[in-house]
Parts: sequence; structure tokens; C-alpha cells
Amino acid sequence: MKFDGLDASQTASAVAKGELSAVDVVTASLQRIKRLEPQLNALITVMEHEALERAALVDLKVASGGDPGPLAGVPVIVKDNMCTHGVRTSCGSRMLEKWVPPYDASVVGYLQCAGAVIIGKSNMDEFAMGSSTEHSAFGPTSNPIDTSRVPGGSSGGSAASVAAGYVPLALGSDTGGSIRQPAAFCGVHGLKPTYGLVSRWGLVAFASSLDQIGPFARSVADIALAMDVIAVPDPRDPTCSRGERPSFRNLAESPDLKGMRIGVVREFLGDSLHPDLRQAISEAESFLASSGCGIVDISLADSASFGLPCYYIIAPAEASSNLARFDGVRYGHREDAENLVCQYTRTRATGFGEEVKRRILTGTFALSSGYYDAYYLTALKARKKISDEFERAFSSADIILMPATPSLPFRKGELMDDPISMYMSDVFTLPVNLAGLPGMTVYAGLNAEGLPLSVQIVAPRWEDSRLINCAAVLEQHFGRPSSAMGGVY
Amino acid sequence: MTRAFETVIGLEVHVQLATETKLFCSCPTSYIGKEPNSMVCPVCLGLPGTLPSLNGRAVELGITAALAMGCSINRNSRFHRKNYFYPDLPKAFQISQYDLPLAVCGSIPIFIGGRKKIIGITRLHLEEDAGKLVHGSSDGRLSGTSFSLVDYNRAGIPLAEIVSEPDLSSPEEAREYVLAIRRLVRYLGVSDGDMESGSLRVDANISQKCTDGRWGNRVEIKNLNSVRAMERALEHETVRQRDILSGGGAVKQETRHWDDVAGSTRPTRGKEEAHDYRYFPEPDLPAIVVCDPMVRRLEEGIPELPWAKRERFEMEWGLDPMDSTALSERLDVAEFLEGVVAAGADSGISANWVRTDIMRILKETGLKADELPFTPEALGDLLVKISKGVLSNTAAKDVLEQMYRKGLDVAAAMNAAGVDPGGISEGTLEGVIRKVLEANPVEAGLILSGEDPSGKKKKFLQGLVMREIRGQSPVQDVASMMDKVMGEMKKPNGSSV
Repeated sequence: MKFDGLDASQTASAVAKGELSAVDVVTASLQRIKRLEPQLNALITVMEHEALERAALVDLKVASGGDPGPLAGVPVIVKDNMCTHGVRTSCGSRMLEKWVPPYDASVVGYLQCAGAVIIGKSNMDEFAMGSSTEHSAFGPTSNPIDTSRVPGGSSGGSAASVAAGYVPLALGSDTGGSIRQPAAFCGVHGLKPTYGLVSRWGLVAFASSLDQIGPFARSVADIALAMDVIAVPDPRDPTCSRGERPSFRNLAESPDLKGMRIGVVREFLGDSLHPDLRQAISEAESFLASSGCGIVDISLADSASFGLPCYYIIAPAEASSNLARFDGVRYGHREDAENLVCQYTRTRATGFGEEVKRRILTGTFALSSGYYDAYYLTALKARKKISDEFERAFSSADIILMPATPSLPFRKGELMDDPISMYMSDVFTLPVNLAGLPGMTVYAGLNAEGLPLSVQIVAPRWEDSRLINCAAVLEQHFGRPSSAMGGVY
Repeated sequence: MTRAFETVIGLEVHVQLATETKLFCSCPTSYIGKEPNSMVCPVCLGLPGTLPSLNGRAVELGITAALAMGCSINRNSRFHRKNYFYPDLPKAFQISQYDLPLAVCGSIPIFIGGRKKIIGITRLHLEEDAGKLVHGSSDGRLSGTSFSLVDYNRAGIPLAEIVSEPDLSSPEEAREYVLAIRRLVRYLGVSDGDMESGSLRVDANISQKCTDGRWGNRVEIKNLNSVRAMERALEHETVRQRDILSGGGAVKQETRHWDDVAGSTRPTRGKEEAHDYRYFPEPDLPAIVVCDPMVRRLEEGIPELPWAKRERFEMEWGLDPMDSTALSERLDVAEFLEGVVAAGADSGISANWVRTDIMRILKETGLKADELPFTPEALGDLLVKISKGVLSNTAAKDVLEQMYRKGLDVAAAMNAAGVDPGGISEGTLEGVIRKVLEANPVEAGLILSGEDPSGKKKKFLQGLVMREIRGQSPVQDVASMMDKVMGEMKKPNGSSV
């Protein structure tokens, strides 16, 4: 049986029935990676040996009549900020270039229990700080749709892996848009769950109050399948909810939006939005209306004005503390020096890249005595205003429809010297993190130049299932993305 | 003009909470004497991607101590991150409490020369301990070392920091305060309070208030490794600050390091204290929400407090302050004593026995009073026998020895000690008395001729009799029998000695 064009659930069910061998699936995946990596550089580490070994175990389980799990034999790629026991976890940084964790991230364990085979660790902006995957100590990743362009970031490697058909499913992390923006740039679906729905245990922290792990896939069904596997309560993460989770997969199979009110954010549709993306929004709007939804206009004025500055205080402030542990004393990169202070400064000066240092400096400043009230405390107040504003919006709308990014994928190097413009590419995604809400980028076809279009949908906290439901409806209209570069998946 | 000064002292006492596991992970806390870095995990080593999980027991112990000091418990408190770089701090921040501590506004009484003084408690908060640096130089000090080793076994051990109001006005009061805190945390089982092993640590803040209205700046003193060291440091610092102020100078606000060998304080190096800790709320931990039922449950579990027991022992039983203090210091001992008295024994005799014999046994064996092989009721029975004159004090001590060494009940212990109350017949007793009188003719003669007005000779002879009969007759019986025998001797028809 050939598996070109199969999605994760189809692959898993074929493996479980013995129609496909997990080893064959993984081997094909690895071959494709070998062929395309020179062009894409989507992966930092390919786990060939581990993957083949695990695939053989899955086949063994099938042969012995055991339940191989809902992701049996499905090759999966995880972002390189998720710890993998015995496999280097670099965070795209020189600082952790050789660091091998002695434990798995919870999500890695959940995937493996479900029968998935992790075949690689994907490239990323260093410590997830960036929107282009150009800020990686391992070199930039290219967009599979147009290799002269960036894949977005910071989970650009995961987005590119799915877009290029390395795998049907990948995990990324999203602190201010790091799943949704690269999903938009690479033309795949990407979900950032409600803060607290997916365990962060083993995710190397960027900004702890904003970070959340989520899936990339080329079908809504696969996003739902992945959520069923990774969105489980975890006592190792005190911020992870113990509440029950719905079956996302069932929702994806029989979506129904009748009577749902879709809120469209008019102030996000101004001139700063690329016209093709504005067109995608209005197309989505019409289709949802024709599917039985009501359309309402909503305003997110506070998010529009305070979102970006608020985010760029809170996230760097937390990052400055989270990244302080990389001091060369216990693990990771170290520059020996004549005394302790010099060892610290040299280690950190050489171990971190420019963007990371810029954010550590910003965050340290924002938390410093004398500036804390003016910056950090003010940002917390702004964050509360943004949350409240979303809450008000959800009194008149069940789902918010808005753009995921203001622009189409930009060219490599285009914004490297212009951090503010780079930051701007997350302007529509980061308010969602500040409010802890679930947000999803849904593929919305290609424009005339063949570049991917997208829309973002946002739901109230813990209503991630509404997004799956809505995305499944939108997928009926826009169709599924096909893998770029003639992919395996 | 001569100026007078008042010393103003506030203390920060860190007590290690007696939990089984660390504050944010499940590593054991029993690190003393263990191989360095053998009691660590990814969480307390602060490895990337790890997250803290709060140990509920530490919260309970913190609340218990706070309630005992009459603090109000914050129903919502939270952790902050205190950021600074040091190799013993794995995450480069310490998880501590800042603006919303676990508890605030309490007090604890101290006793100075019989006078009671209430010392205010500002706050009690929870935090994690750091690891320990071992410097490579031959003397183990930082200066001149070419390398340092870090042991993270202690990293993440739960601490409660208890901050006092600046209510202490002398090194002596500071000492009594630290001892009171230590007694309390031990009494409650909140901490072992051992200063030598570092499970109780003190930083002191001291300043001088001058009668001319001037205030000296506050100085923080660190490296106080014993109560004695703290007292000496505060005495030294009092003199140093008063000298400066008397000379018209100003005390610099700074942190000073106590050098126990030199007997003086010196400024810590500027760099070490130039910290801006950049406190901000710990995003990895939700707020600590303490509900009323939890507070009630912990409150109900708090026994009568040492100072209350002490006052009661004095009021109800008339114990002197020395005895009442010593006997209220440990909950197990105090409760044992109460058990003995409840069994009907005289409170004075009971206090005396518990303070001497029971304390000696506890010290020898390292047991707690409730782990002794005999119950307080058994000791009570024994002491009642003394009061009733059934047993002599000496014999009772032999019996107690048997009860403790062999774990026997009172009756069996009396047998084992060869003590048989009333087992000496009158005839036997009379015979022994005659033998003793014959063996000591000089004393007997003096008594008979009325030359023993103080009764000392008589007591001496009674003692010899008691020894002969191994205390098996009450002392009153011995005395009356001796009187009878000597009365007979005086009679004209009696044999003369």
C-alpha cells in the first residue's frame, strides 16, 4: 500500500491493520528528509536510529495483536525546545548545542504512548524568539512553498516539515504566534491551545505565562487527533488544567456551526493587512454565513493598541529570568575565564545570539528597580485590559475571525535588520497569548503567485473544540493544503 | 553632653521545614552526610524545561508555625522569583515569597529575667534553599581558591523565613527570641531547629537610636552560625555603631559579615550586595489558596503552646520559673508530665522526677517521652507510692530503672528490683534496727541522752537502716520502729547499751 496523500489518522489505521509497516512509513519519511533537507534545513537533529527502532516496536506490537495506539507508526517532528530523553535538545542555540536531556517532555511521552514515531527535532528561532526561523544557531530554514522566503517562526522548522510532507504532524510552541504565524507562512493548519490545556513539562521555557505547545497538520482531522493525544492533564505542570477534555476527533468528523456567531474584527482589516489576506477573511466570512453562522462586528481596540508593547515587555521580562540559568556552571556552553563573573559574561555573550540578547536586556531592564512599575506593572495592567476586552467580545460572538499575520511570507533576510517590523508580524497573534485563549491558523488556499493564505480563528478559554469545529467547516471550503515539493505526506 | 543610645534589633530567622521531600520536587530532604549531588533531580537542578510542583506539607508546616505565633494567614499568597546569579542557585533565581507572604502580623513572647516581652512577627514566608559551595582552597574559604565545587543536595529544601519587628533592644533579647523561635518550631515539629546543621539560620538587622533624636542607619549582619555568634556580633556591632555616632559620624547602611575568629564584623564586598533582585510573580506556580477548613484543621492540631503551658505550670502547680521553662520546652516532656500528674501524683514530686530522672533517660536514649517503654500513668503510680509512704524515694528510683531498662510494669519492676513494699516484717525491721544501733553505739548514746536536738544523728541511723532493708519499708515505719526500740532501751528493765 502506498501512503502518498494519507494523513496521520489514515496512516495510523493502515499501520494498525497491518496494511502498512511502521518501518516502511518511517523509512520513506527519512528518505524524503534526506533529499530535501539540503534545501530546507527544517531539522536540527534527525533521529534516524531511534525512529527506526521505535517503528520496529510498533510493528511488533501490531504483529502481536496489541493496540498500537491512535498514532501508530505516524512519523512526527517536534520543535527542538521540547526535551527528548537521550537526544540533543538545542533550542536553536549555541548555548545548548550539545545538551542532551535526561527526560522527555510530557508531550513527547504522550506521542510515543500513542504509537507515534518521533523522527526529528525541528529548527527554530533561538529559544523561540523570532518570527522567521532565521535566528537559529543552525542556520535559517526555507519555506517549502518558495525557498527564497522564510517559513515564519519561531516554529518554522515544524511548519516547513509538515508543508514539505516530511511528516503529517508536527508540534510547535507558541508564545506570541510561533505556531500560527509559521502555519500561515507555510500554508498548513496550526493550533495554539488554551493556556493550560497542554502540559509544558519539558518545554524549555521562553515566557512561562504565554508558552503553549500545539500541533501543525495539513488536515483539521489530524490537528484534532493530535490534540486528543497531547491535551491531557499533567500533574508535573501546575499550570496545566486538571479538567476534562472533549474528544476533538469526533468534533472534526462531524462539524456543525449552525447558530454560531462569528465576530469579525474590523479594525484588523485596514490598510496594513495584505489585500489577499483581507480577501481570505471575507471569503471565510461569507462561507461561514452560508453555513448557518451569524456574523457580528466586534472591536479589539485595546489589543490593537497595547498588544505589541505589552507583549514585548512581559515576554522578555519572563525570558530574562528563564534564560538566566544558562550560566555555563552546570551544563551547556561554557567559556572558561579567570573568574566567575567573567565566566558568566563570556559564556552568555558567546552562547546567545543577538535577538536573544536583545530580549534578555529588554526584559532585565523592564524588571529593574525603578522601572518595574513603569514597564512590567503597566504591561500587566494592559494585559488585563486585553483579556477583559476579549471577554466582552465573546459576549456577542462565539468565535472571532481575524487575520493570522499582516503579510505574506517575506523573503529571507528582508527583516533581519529591522526587529520592529519583524515583531509586527505577530501583531494579530500575540494578543491571543496575552489573554490565554485558543487560536488557530486555518489554511485558506493560495494566491495568484501560489503563496499561502490563511485566517485566524479565536475562541474563549477552554473552547478549543469550537476552533476544531469551525476549522473543519472552513476546510470544506478552502480544501486541505497539499504537500509542497511533491511530498510523501 | 553625654548621649544615650537605644539598640534596635530585628531578626530574620530561616527554619528548615521538616518535610520528607523538597519544596518543589520529590527529592528527599535528608541530605546531611550524603554524597554531594546524590539527592537531586532535574527540577532542583533547574534543568531546562522542568517545572516546580509545590509541596503541600511545607505549606501546612508554615501555616502551623504562623498560627502558633498568632499570625493571620493570607488566604491568597503567591511566589515570586528573586533573580540573581550565583553558582549555588541552579535556576539563577530563588523561588520565594514577596508581596503576599503566607502569613503576617503575629507575635511571640520572650522572658528576660522573669519579665515577659512580646516581640512582633512581621511575616512568615516560604522559600527554597540554595545549594552549597565548597571552595577548593586548603582552608575551604573563598579567598585564594582556584576552583569551587557545588553540592546541590540542599537546593530546593523548604525554608520558612520568619521576620521579626524591630522590637528587640539588646543582644540578650535577640538570643531569647531565637531560642523562643527554636523552641516553638521544635515543639510543633515544624523543624528540628538545629543551628549547627544549618536548619535554623539567623540574619540580624541592628541600628542605634540616639537620645538626641538621631537614628543610626541599619546594618545587616550575616554569617551568624550560632546563637552565641549572633550575640557576640550584636554586642560588637552595638559598640561599633555607638562609637561612630558618639564621634559625630554616620553609620553606613550596609551588609556586614561576622568573623567569629576575629570577633568583629566587616563589610561584605560591594559587588555581592549590589543586587537588584528583579522580583516578579513566579509564572510557573498558581497562587497558594488557603481555605478556612484547612486553617481550622491545622489550628486544631496545634497543642497548648510552650509559653501557655509554662504559665499554667506556675499558676496551677506552683512550679518555679526554672522548672516550668525546662518542662514546657518540649511537647513530649510536657505532655508526659501532665500524664504523671493526671495519674494522681503530686505535681511538685512529678516535676522533680520528670526534670531529673526522665530527662536523663531521654538524653541517654535519644528517645521522645512518648517512646519510653513505660507510660506516664505508670510513673504516676510509682510516685503515688512514695507520697503514701509505701516506697522510699531510693527504692522508687531502683524501680524506675527496671521499668526503663527492662520495660516492666510497676509491679514487675518492683519484683525485679527486689523491692517488696511491706515485705519486711515488723520483727525483721526491729532486728535490723537493733543491729544498727549496736553497731553505732556512740550515735545511739547521744540520742538516748538527749544530745541530738537537731535529729541529725537519728536521721543518719535511719538512713543506715533503710540501706539495710533496701528501702522496702516506708521511712515513717522505720522512724516509729526506731523510736519504739530506743524507748525500750531507755526503760529501767531494758538492757542498757
